[in-house]
Amino acid sequence: MSDIKIKSKNLNVYYGDKQALFDVNLDLNEKEVTALIGPSGCGKSTFIRCINRMNDVIDICKVEGNIEIDGIEINDKELDVVSLRERVGMVFQKPNPFPKSIYDNISYGPKIHGKGETKNELDEIVERSLKKAALWEEVKDRLDEPGTGLSGGQQQRLCIARAISVNPEVILMDEPCSALDPIATAKIEELIDELKKTYTIVIVTHSMAQAVRVSQKTGFFHLGKLIEVGLTEKIFKNPDNKMTQDYITGRFG
Amino acid sequence: MTKEERLKKRHNSEKRFRFYGLASIFVALLFVLILVNNIFSKGSSAFMKTAINVEVFFDPELLEVKNGSTLDEIQEADFYDVTIETILKSYPAKNLDEENELIDLFTTDAEIEIKNAFIKNNNLVGKKINLEITASDDIDQLHKGNYPRDLPEDRRRISNFQLKIYDNFVADDKIIKNFNNYFFSNGDSRNPELAGIGGALVGSFYSILICLLLSFPVAVLASIYLEEFAPKNKITDFIEININNLAAVPSIVYGLLALQILLATIQLPRSTPLVAGITLALMTLPRIIIPCRASLKAVPPSIREGALAVGASKFQSVFHHVVPLALPGTLSGTIIGLAQALGETAPLILIGMVAFVVDIPATPIDPSASLPVQVYLWSESAERGFVEKTSATIMMLLSFLIVMNFVAVYLRQKFEKRWN
Repeated sequence: MSDIKIKSKNLNVYYGDKQALFDVNLDLNEKEVTALIGPSGCGKSTFIRCINRMNDVIDICKVEGNIEIDGIEINDKELDVVSLRERVGMVFQKPNPFPKSIYDNISYGPKIHGKGETKNELDEIVERSLKKAALWEEVKDRLDEPGTGLSGGQQQRLCIARAISVNPEVILMDEPCSALDPIATAKIEELIDELKKTYTIVIVTHSMAQAVRVSQKTGFFHLGKLIEVGLTEKIFKNPDNKMTQDYITGRFG
Repeated sequence: MTKEERLKKRHNSEKRFRFYGLASIFVALLFVLILVNNIFSKGSSAFMKTAINVEVFFDPELLEVKNGSTLDEIQEADFYDVTIETILKSYPAKNLDEENELIDLFTTDAEIEIKNAFIKNNNLVGKKINLEITASDDIDQLHKGNYPRDLPEDRRRISNFQLKIYDNFVADDKIIKNFNNYFFSNGDSRNPELAGIGGALVGSFYSILICLLLSFPVAVLASIYLEEFAPKNKITDFIEININNLAAVPSIVYGLLALQILLATIQLPRSTPLVAGITLALMTLPRIIIPCRASLKAVPPSIREGALAVGASKFQSVFHHVVPLALPGTLSGTIIGLAQALGETAPLILIGMVAFVVDIPATPIDPSASLPVQVYLWSESAERGFVEKTSATIMMLLSFLIVMNFVAVYLRQKFEKRWN
């Protein structure tokens, strides 16, 4: 069994008066893919946005409880979110490359964190990140073209490359394939398989098949509660909870 | 109603709508055409002036200078006798009245024009040259066909004798139409043939420059703070409502405010571009903040999230990503705000820019005219020559506005980036 990388304890999240997460206790293993499934609005995205404190951006959002990464509490007002997000990268549902060149998209993160002092170092980081994101061969001759000019799947891989350019430990993926066609999806899934050797990955997905294909561990959320979590194989073949059973067999959701 | 009937009705209503739309556009264009045609037909003649070709003899006996006098000595010297002699020689006048009428055909600045010609060419003492002297406003208007000559003599500003001289000059090819350099280089004047928009141009330029320097940074920083950093609560809502209201406040109210605070309390010099610029900046501020905030709001949140997710601070995500994307909209909003300020008249009248200022301002704290107020001033003047000057000034003002709006559109189209 792998080591625990991220540990959430009694996590409650509120949007104004509405409670979005109820006492979520979830452990995520290092260098593994954890899939979070559940119907829309069940709190999966809210949960992963707690891991890199992206919920801070939302004025009315209040987070209570604990999240530890490597045993260190991150839900602490004193903690510097900039260095947290350097360690915990994120890929969003809709590809959101900056309207800049492909090169600038990748080099932006390292630049602001002071990684890659020289042009050579930056070039290296850009090449390494794009190779890891399996995009290098497709774009190496047009690095100065705008990232927004790529196809949807390429844009999403560009965003993955952008996330890994700062060399994070964790990558959060919020339905990364929901806007992509099956071929692009297959490429991203292959990529996730490769990336899990280096990174701890949490992926939110609506596709049961995708969860089965890419993840080792799966958590099922419903109405803000974590209903069941366990090895992916077990969740999909022999879940303990009736609701999980109903959801994965398509009876609701 | 059958299906066919319903379908026909739908098609008819679409046709009607198209017709109304086309008709509206036609009416709007018609109004623009009438306006532009009116201004052009009245104003275009102001860019030409009428001059009379005369022979000037720099008589050593009448001149107070000789060849080799210094520039200062020439500037001090009197060219009056030479001027009068020149004019009287151009046509035989029998008595003093006729002589005076003859002199009235030339601009009051004839002496200065002769002096300038003397300064430009060296060693003219004792020599004769041909010079084109600007005609008086009456002759100018007569020659341009703006003055009716079939009125009875006692209702005309031009006497029968003057008409005779004019006809004689025309027959001798002595009347010439030249480019009206005075219109651009001179300040205001009581004599229409000498009046120009030089002072108003410089005054407006200084005013708009000060307006830009004050309003742009304040408006941009206020917008960025309100849009990106400020918490959303009752206080910021209140500020937002106030900004929107301020943009709708009649401009004359800003004039009253400036009159009270800038002139009466702080005692800044009145009629100056400095005060005009500050007043216009107050007025323009909300008009820039609104488009500036709109263009910040138009940047999709995913760009901010993308930046934050790679570990950019709030400040970095705003200034590296959001602001550059909002810049084209911000700039074009600013330019359109400035264009409005350029055409603003009411507040400037209240702060005293309506004063009669002949000099072209050297600094923003000299008394000055401005383009829209110049239009207002001249439109009130009785002399015929000011009618064309008024329209010509409007033409200048309109062309500045068109250029500014064009630049705004260009900036937006050139630098606006497309996202997803």
